[in-house]
Amino acid sequence: MTVAIDVKDVRKRYVTKKRTGLIRSRKEVIEALKGVSFKVMHGEVVGLLGPNGAGKTTTVKIIATLLLPDSGEVFVEGFDVVRKAREVRRRIGIMLTVEKGFYGKLTGRENLEYFGALYGLSGDSLRRRVSHLMELLELKKLGAEERLFEEYSLGMKARLALARALLKDPPVLLLDEPTLGLDPPSARKIRSLVKALAREEGKAVLYTTHNMFEAEIICDRILMINKGVIVAKGTPNDLKARIPRIRTVVLVVKPASTSEERVLNAIKTSVGNKPEIRYTGEGYAELRFSIEKPEEVLNEVIKAVVAQGYEVLRLEVEEPTLEDVFMYFTGAS
Amino acid sequence: MSWLGLIRAEFTFVYADIFRRKSLLFMLVAYPYMITAFILLFGASIGTAQEFIRKVGVDPVPFLIVSSFMIMSIIGVVDDILWRPIYDEHMGTMPYVISAPTSRVAHYMAIPLPRLTLVVLIGSTSVIPVLTYYYSYAGLRESLIIMGLGALGAVLFTTLAMVIVGLLFAVAEESWRVLNVIRPLLLVLLGAFYPRFLMPLYVRAVSWALPPSHVVEAIQRLLMGYGGLEVMLTLIGIATALFVLYAPLGSRAITLWEGRKVLKGVKT
Repeated sequence: MTVAIDVKDVRKRYVTKKRTGLIRSRKEVIEALKGVSFKVMHGEVVGLLGPNGAGKTTTVKIIATLLLPDSGEVFVEGFDVVRKAREVRRRIGIMLTVEKGFYGKLTGRENLEYFGALYGLSGDSLRRRVSHLMELLELKKLGAEERLFEEYSLGMKARLALARALLKDPPVLLLDEPTLGLDPPSARKIRSLVKALAREEGKAVLYTTHNMFEAEIICDRILMINKGVIVAKGTPNDLKARIPRIRTVVLVVKPASTSEERVLNAIKTSVGNKPEIRYTGEGYAELRFSIEKPEEVLNEVIKAVVAQGYEVLRLEVEEPTLEDVFMYFTGAS
Repeated sequence: MSWLGLIRAEFTFVYADIFRRKSLLFMLVAYPYMITAFILLFGASIGTAQEFIRKVGVDPVPFLIVSSFMIMSIIGVVDDILWRPIYDEHMGTMPYVISAPTSRVAHYMAIPLPRLTLVVLIGSTSVIPVLTYYYSYAGLRESLIIMGLGALGAVLFTTLAMVIVGLLFAVAEESWRVLNVIRPLLLVLLGAFYPRFLMPLYVRAVSWALPPSHVVEAIQRLLMGYGGLEVMLTLIGIATALFVLYAPLGSRAITLWEGRKVLKGVKT
C-alpha cells in the first residue's frame, strides 16, 4: 500500500473575537490542532474520532485545501496542500455536511451534472458517470433522480453528497461525519459503499465520526483526537487491548434461601468489590461486578456462589467497546 | 475542462432557478417594462420631449428604452457575478466550488451568460418594435445591432466584475450590502441614462475605465447618428482591450479573495 495522505506536525490556531460589550471585544486564541501527524494509505479506511471541538473538521479542511495550516506539512499523493492546491483538488473527493451543500431548485441529477462540469467532466462521460453514481447509491431506486434537492430527505441528501465526492473518481476521499443523523438503511448503505471503495478500488478514505459502532465496523485504523492532539492510534482491537484490562462480569443466577448479603460478601472476598444485584421478572438475579483478570478468579467466584446454594445459569464477560476506549483516551465521562 | 460544459451547467442552474421560482420569473419579465414606464413618466414630468431632443439629440422614447435594455443587460452581469459567492455561502456550496480545479476566469465568464441571454430575448420585445416603429427598416437594422452590442458590452464587463468581486469580498467578506453601493454607482458611470459627454470631467475619467461604458457610447452614437463606423469600432476596440487587460487582474483578485477565505477556513 502506498501513502495517500501524509500529515506532518500540523498546527492551527483560530483567533476569534469575544464580545465584551456593544463595541468592545477581546481576542481569544483557540488552539485547534497542536502538532497532528498521521498517514493514510491507499486501500484503507482510517477513522478520525473525537468529541466536538477536538479538531476533526479542522484536520479534514486542511487536507481538503479549504483551510491553511499555521505550520506543518500535508501531502496528498505527494502534492503539498498549500503549494500545489490545484493538484490536490484533482485528487480528492470531499463530503463535509449532509444537510447543505447543493442547490435547492435543481434536481439531484442536475446538481451532480453542475458539479461534474465544475470538476472538468462534460458531455456523455459526465452523464454516464452521474447515472452510474445515482444507481450505485440507489438514488434512482428511491425516485430521487429527478426530484428537487429541497424535497430530499436527509438520507437522500447524504447519498447525493457521497455521489458528488465520487464524481471525478478520486483516489482520496475525505468524509466528515457522513452518516450523522441518517436513518439506518442510508447509514448502512454509505458504510458498505465506503468500505467497498477502499477494499475494491484502493481508495484512501479519511472518515470522521462520533459513532463508535460505525468506526469499529468500517475503519481499518482509528485515530483518536482530543483537544487538537492525537491521543491514540491503531486498529480497533489494538486500541481495546491498550486500555486497562478491567472487565465487567455478569452472573445470572437462580437465588436460593441463603441471604443475599452472604452471597454478595462471598463474591467481594474473591474479587475485591461488592457486586450490584438486580432481580429479573422471572425470579432470577443478575450479579454484576468488575474484575481485572477474570480468567484467574472466576472459578473461585462461581464456587463461592454455588456454595451458598445459588444455581449459576449464565456467565458473561463483557469486552471493552470502542466507546470505552474513546472514554479512556479522551478522558470523557 | 470543457468551457461549453460549464456554460451548459450554468444555463441549467440559472434557468432552473428562474423557471422553478415563479416570482423570480415574473420579476425578470416585468422589470424592464416597469423601469421603462417609470423612466418615461419621470422624464415627462420634468421636461418636454423637445427639450430632451435639443440636449441629447435623439427622441427620449427610443433613447430611454435602449438605455433600459443596456442597463438591464450590463447590471445583470454585475449582479450575477457579485451575487454568486453570497449565494454559494448561503447554500453551503462554497467549499465545493472553491475546491473545484476549474479555471476561475472560465467559470466567471460562464456565470452571467444564461441570464444575459434571457435579458436579450426579453429586451428584443421592446427595443426591436419601438425602434422599428420610430425609424422603420433602418430602425429594425439598428435595433438588431444594438441588441448585439448590448450583449457584447455586458460580456465585456465580466473581467472587471471579477476584479470588483475579488477585491471587495476580500475586504468586506461576502456581504450583500456591498451590492447596494456598487449598483447605483455603476448606473451613473455607465452613462446609459446620463450620456458621458454631459458628465463632469472627473466622473468621465472613471467612466472610461469601465469597458461597457464605451459600448454604451457606441450605441448612443448609433442612435444619435454621429461618429461613423470608425469611431464605433474604436470604442468597441477600447472596451475589448480593457476587458483583456482586466482578465489577469480579475483572476488574481478572485485568487486573493479565495486565499483570504482559505486562511480563515471556508465555512461549510
